[in-house]
Amino acid sequence: MTAYLIRRVLQSILVVFISAVASYVLLSFAPGGPLSGLRQIQQSGRFRITEEDIARIRASFELDLNLPVRFGRWLIGVPRGPLVIGGKEYFAEMVVGCRRPVEAEVTNSRGVVEIVTVGCKEDVLLKDLVGRRTSRGVLLGDFGLSWRLLRDRPVSDLIESRIPKTLQLIGLETLLSLIIGIPLGIYSAVRQYSRFDYIFTTLAFMGSAMPSFFFGLLFILLFSILPKNAGLAYIPAGLSESVRNYTIPLIGEVIAGSFKDRALHMILPVAVLTILNVAGWSRYIRASMLDVLRQDYVRTARAKGLGQKMVILKHALRNALIPFITIVVFTIPGLFSGAIITESIFAWPGMGRLYILALGDYDYPVAMALFFILSVLTVIATLLRDVLYTIADPRIRLH
Amino acid sequence: MLRNRLFFVMGLLVVASMILSACGTPAPVATEAPAVEQPVATEAPVPTEAPVTPTSFTTPHPILGDLKVRQALSYCTNKADLIKSVYPLVNEETQANLIMNTFIPTSHWAYAGDENVTIYPFDAAKGAALLDEAGWTLAEGASFRTNAAGDELALKFTTTSAAFRQTWAAIWEAQMAECGVRVVRLHAPASWWFGDTTGIARRDYELGAFAWVGQADPGGQTLYACDQIPLPENGWVGQNAMGWCNELASTNIKLANNTLIKDERIAAYTIVQQEFTKDIPSIPLFNRTETFAAAADLSGFQPVPGQEYYNYNIQDWEKAGSDTIVIGFTQEPASLFTLVEDAFVANIAYQIVRPAQEVHLNYDFKATLVKDLPTIENGGTTNNDVEVAEGTKVMDADGNVVDLAAGVFVMNAAGEKVEFTGGTITMKQMVSRFDLIDGLKWEDGTPVTGADLELGKKISCDPESGATSFITCDKTASTEFSDNGYTQTWIPGVQDPLYFLPVWAIFPAHQLGDLAAKDWATDPRVAETPLSYGPYKLVEWVKGEKLVFAANENWVGTPAKSPNLVIQIITPESAEALLLGGEIDILDSTSLAGLSETLAAAEAEGKIKTFVEAGGTWEHIDIQLFTR
Repeated sequence: MTAYLIRRVLQSILVVFISAVASYVLLSFAPGGPLSGLRQIQQSGRFRITEEDIARIRASFELDLNLPVRFGRWLIGVPRGPLVIGGKEYFAEMVVGCRRPVEAEVTNSRGVVEIVTVGCKEDVLLKDLVGRRTSRGVLLGDFGLSWRLLRDRPVSDLIESRIPKTLQLIGLETLLSLIIGIPLGIYSAVRQYSRFDYIFTTLAFMGSAMPSFFFGLLFILLFSILPKNAGLAYIPAGLSESVRNYTIPLIGEVIAGSFKDRALHMILPVAVLTILNVAGWSRYIRASMLDVLRQDYVRTARAKGLGQKMVILKHALRNALIPFITIVVFTIPGLFSGAIITESIFAWPGMGRLYILALGDYDYPVAMALFFILSVLTVIATLLRDVLYTIADPRIRLH
Repeated sequence: MLRNRLFFVMGLLVVASMILSACGTPAPVATEAPAVEQPVATEAPVPTEAPVTPTSFTTPHPILGDLKVRQALSYCTNKADLIKSVYPLVNEETQANLIMNTFIPTSHWAYAGDENVTIYPFDAAKGAALLDEAGWTLAEGASFRTNAAGDELALKFTTTSAAFRQTWAAIWEAQMAECGVRVVRLHAPASWWFGDTTGIARRDYELGAFAWVGQADPGGQTLYACDQIPLPENGWVGQNAMGWCNELASTNIKLANNTLIKDERIAAYTIVQQEFTKDIPSIPLFNRTETFAAAADLSGFQPVPGQEYYNYNIQDWEKAGSDTIVIGFTQEPASLFTLVEDAFVANIAYQIVRPAQEVHLNYDFKATLVKDLPTIENGGTTNNDVEVAEGTKVMDADGNVVDLAAGVFVMNAAGEKVEFTGGTITMKQMVSRFDLIDGLKWEDGTPVTGADLELGKKISCDPESGATSFITCDKTASTEFSDNGYTQTWIPGVQDPLYFLPVWAIFPAHQLGDLAAKDWATDPRVAETPLSYGPYKLVEWVKGEKLVFAANENWVGTPAKSPNLVIQIITPESAEALLLGGEIDILDSTSLAGLSETLAAAEAEGKIKTFVEAGGTWEHIDIQLFTR
């Protein structure tokens, strides 16, 4: 087991590295970015931008460095300048980028005129990197500075501001989904073809089929806007807490920022996410349980005279949970990544929305940080899944 | 051990990648570009010195080159119906206010007035008659007109694929069909239509629709002057893609953009608008709207056309029965260091604590934090004749800051474009005096002084600060600061019509005087909690959630009526629900795409108020006057 874990950890590091390289390269080639639009500004009379201004802006975003060099600085914070051994500098004159590229308009094979880089007027040398600001590298937990969303300030500030809200939302929702979904699935399987099973299956199917934005808007209308207009008790429509104190019929005055206020604001987004998860997970558990309940060893257990509770919980459920483990462990990256649509509908300041904003605003340091953390969590979840398999099913041995 | 090995491997990878990258870097180019497919230009285009003699785009467009056809298209265009198609919920009065007659909004100070321009009211019969006169007749039973040669009157119409444009373009297509003109619509990707080397930039259209953004200063020189027609011969420089060259209009648009006397500017713009509406190189359609919504019990909130930042009077806002006003932002400011972050939301938030030194209500200028805007008319600015010798920094005739040398073209004191050949030359040099209003203080009670303005200049002109453009610094010959203001001397040749606007930002020298420019963008005192001299001070910024403000007791102006103000970060999806739910009080035009049925219904029920203003952005159809 120990050898297996060590081997898997090493493999995981490789996987994370490869995914980091892949996502970094892909984002580097994505259109847009901080330089888009500068060409138009350059021609404008009152706000003229010179070639030197553009070179400076490129340097401030490290866009004047070659991709591998940028990646190295992002990953581990090097190179920061020439290699110094025994007080002597090496590779100081090595070209690591281009400060002023030469651009030309060319007609490509499709007849479309495009601007391409055809040379370099002024190189960036390794020695030029001395004194440039850079992060310590993501491996040391420094994700660098945000390009857009929190301009020139640490990406970690952004992530730290969103994480607690996402953990609250997704953590509670996952917990409720497990508490409700698993018993529902079991009961429905045990009572297959009963009236409850038909109703449950129908509702679960509807729950799985309905998109979260539909539920979100429906809930806002049904539980917030309509009852409020009717003077009835209502639930706040969005945000994670209120700015002003307010009064709800039956509940009374709610102090902005109080526990009661925050709890009330969580109800609708948690309810939407829980319904969606319960619908999916309970159907999964039901199907898995039905498979197991048909197995010979369950029949044998019953033939031996074991009680229904013992058969279900000890013999059937344990085996039925094995495939379910795969789903549950992958909620770990989900705890971090948030719920994009639900957060948007309810203006919940979580990680899901941060994702969308980072990609939409070309804030690649933020996007890369999120990709990197998610890939690490996914790898950890995978490893955890394998370990949990051995606990759920003693027949499984890891070598 | 494992960790050491890991770092060793990583180090090797990085070194290897550096070597690989060094091998892959293109060699520096000294004189010419490597052989690639048809290189055209190697530098960003700059305006040319000598006039360009076109060898292409010299043949008048066979259909659109005829003025009668252009007039017919104008008469056949029912602008009111186009507006109704995209703003169906806006009341008729507002719809009527959106109609554009020229390239300047009707409420603008530079608008020539209805009586001074040719207006083309919707009149399909008149349009049809003009087409008949032009030789495009409608055969019996036919849907579209033909000429004597049997060619159909068909025109290619290009615009973006945005739903907004698809909507009104479909209506316009039908309007043209009513007059017997077939319009073939092409909704191209914006990346192509607005591309650097495609679409408008290459004059690749017959009829082309897009929008310009109008401002308090109408500009227009790059759009309507004869020497601003993009051609292959001049590297496609200029924005006059229609190819419109009317000498009278061209002379006057330059005059309007370069004279400093407002009355002269108005007269020049009037001539340009007269010629513009006579020649019809473009059909102005309508202003886009800017929509705001506010709680019904909020008073004082009053967006005004031409004033970009609607919080110009934030101290007058008041919510009945509440000590807090909540503005919903669907985009969080990235930083409040507006020298590097110029997004609209950042400026709105910034101006709550540091209001602008002037406002642009109804497209006109009004001083707020300076005693007066120093114009030539009021004596605050002098435009002196100065002798300039070789080596002096001047602005050349194309607006570039250069050292005066033989061969440089400049505008002399008589306003003529001349080549400098040596010796000295007499040029114009402006000197303006700006004085802060009395009693302006920082939130900590420290008076705002010339030292704060001096810091503003220092940071604005330091490349280390992260500022993007330094054109203002380059154009400055000197600035002399005093206790309550400064005297700004521009380099010879600077004749900017907006010379009277305050130049330098105000930064707290007593707080940030020692902060190195390179640290400004990252310092929270600059980017997150700027010290206030405005009606509110920033108390707290909870990232991703809200910015909390409180009334600033040291504000020199009218005290804020609402003790507290919050900018709540919301999402576009939740915006209307939060307003109707009472969680927020104001939604601005960045959060609202337009007036929705939900908002209109809520207003009818008296729950909210909506404000639909004519925005600065206006839609138009440009006409290609020549073919390649």
